Amino acid sequence: MASEVALFEVGVLFAAVALVGGIASRLRQSVIPFYIATGILLGPYVVGRLTPYALEATEFVELGAELGIVFLLFFLGLEFNLNRLLANRSRIGKAGTVDLVVNFGGGLVLGFVLFRAFLPAFLVAGIVYISSSAIITKSLIDLGWIANDEAEPMLGTLVYEDLVIAVYLVVASALLLGGGDIGAAAQSIGVALGVILVLLAVVWFGTPFFQRVLDADSHEFIVLRAVGITVLAAGAALALGVSEAVAAFFIGMAFSSTEHVEQLERLLEPIRDLFAAVFFVWIGLVTDPLVFAGVLTLILVAVVVTVPTKLVSGYLGGRMYDLDIRQSTRVGLGMTTRGEFSLIIATLALSGSGTTLTETVAQTIYAFAVGYVLVMSIVGTMLMQYSTPIEEAIVPRLSKVFSDSSVEN
Amino acid sequence: MTVYESDLPGVGKKFEIEIGDGERLVIVTHNTGKREVFLKASEGADSEKLFELPDRLARTIGTILEGAYFQPVQSEQVETMLAEGTFLEWYNVDDGAEIAGQTLADARVRERTGVSVAAIERSGSVVPSPRADTVMEVGDTLVVIGSQEDLHEFDVLVSNDAASPE
Repeated sequence: MASEVALFEVGVLFAAVALVGGIASRLRQSVIPFYIATGILLGPYVVGRLTPYALEATEFVELGAELGIVFLLFFLGLEFNLNRLLANRSRIGKAGTVDLVVNFGGGLVLGFVLFRAFLPAFLVAGIVYISSSAIITKSLIDLGWIANDEAEPMLGTLVYEDLVIAVYLVVASALLLGGGDIGAAAQSIGVALGVILVLLAVVWFGTPFFQRVLDADSHEFIVLRAVGITVLAAGAALALGVSEAVAAFFIGMAFSSTEHVEQLERLLEPIRDLFAAVFFVWIGLVTDPLVFAGVLTLILVAVVVTVPTKLVSGYLGGRMYDLDIRQSTRVGLGMTTRGEFSLIIATLALSGSGTTLTETVAQTIYAFAVGYVLVMSIVGTMLMQYSTPIEEAIVPRLSKVFSDSSVEN
Repeated sequence: MTVYESDLPGVGKKFEIEIGDGERLVIVTHNTGKREVFLKASEGADSEKLFELPDRLARTIGTILEGAYFQPVQSEQVETMLAEGTFLEWYNVDDGAEIAGQTLADARVRERTGVSVAAIERSGSVVPSPRADTVMEVGDTLVVIGSQEDLHEFDVLVSNDAASPE
């Protein structure tokens, strides 16, 4: 059994998260930055420096965080519907490609200017490219935008981003874990691709099996079997040196074509939320707030560059969906929020520390990503909440600019 | 009437229904079962949220709207009381009914039952105040006035005896 205070510490963690989550929702803010801040405050770097008591990133918390990543990506796969993507491929493809080129491209340039090397630039590009599905979807529902026309390009672009991020994680983890030289990187990319092919085969041929496995009468068995398969596959992938997140994504995709998909979403949602909270707190626990001082400039530069990139790409995406200037402006405002996936990329950067990245660079990217997400999750949520005054300020000017060149629908 | 259906990945489905005057009713069905109902003044306008319902309540309200609980149509037994003891009633002339094919005069409706035929509805149009030589055909709906007992007697004349042996 664990030491007699270990259970108490986990209790403190969950109680703090519950309390802070309530405060966040009272303030109409996303819970993610609040969970991270809770981790920072209760961790060894704030409370730990002031008092002899602090929450530590124990093995339980680390595993819980790992499970958080697995379930976040599992849900992504579960809700990812290839047919839906294909049915809408021309519009989603256009809007998503613009989003990718503008933001990932902008991120590459930014990362290169900041770090002068390809791998860090590649990581920064991922961090600033991927919008937060969780926060954006929740805000859409809370603000009632979900019934408006602007919800479609936003959700469509998020689906496109999810697909890109699955591929991105494969490549990034292979580059990071593959050691320094090209040969080793090629080998690890080979292994990664092999695992992905196996997983794709599982998705393709495994549906009847998954269907049968989940044909249970009791919720208990359905939950246990789904969790068993998902965590086992994710763990096996990690043991082989492939990102567990990617494996979880594909397992989710395999489950998504069974008849149990809605039931799984309903039953596993609390599990995802529980472990995702642990993940965000863990991020805070291992982050020393003093490092933000060193990366403050990086964060500011990134915010100044990447808010406009999303505004532009979102606006163009909205126009591709034949929306008017006001609605397209909203799409841009709504897409600026970054969150959970940027943090997953940040933890990935740590895994390359000391091998493919110098420890300083890995720590810098990590601290940058955490600070960046803290800022962008709040900024993005605010931009959506205060969209009306922003629209009133921007839309008339945009209308003047575009009135000669574009035809209003 | 057009219903636009679109997927909301990770959320559920959205249905937009044109309800006239350019207005649209927007129903968002969440994967959780929750329904949200919005009203849009026009196609590109912002949605104004009207209400939200949990799954079971939404289904109940849906069946009421569908008319499963109460169907506001002219069925066999729609009756309106004109005054105490006098009713206005609609009767279908069944296949094989005694008076089918007869004129009002031949059928001697008023003498035999005491009800008077105020109008005859035939394939969508109404023959008001039918004359004595008007023929009552199978499928007609007769609008009649009479007391409760008179109507009971009249019921026998218009229904198929084989179907309702009395």
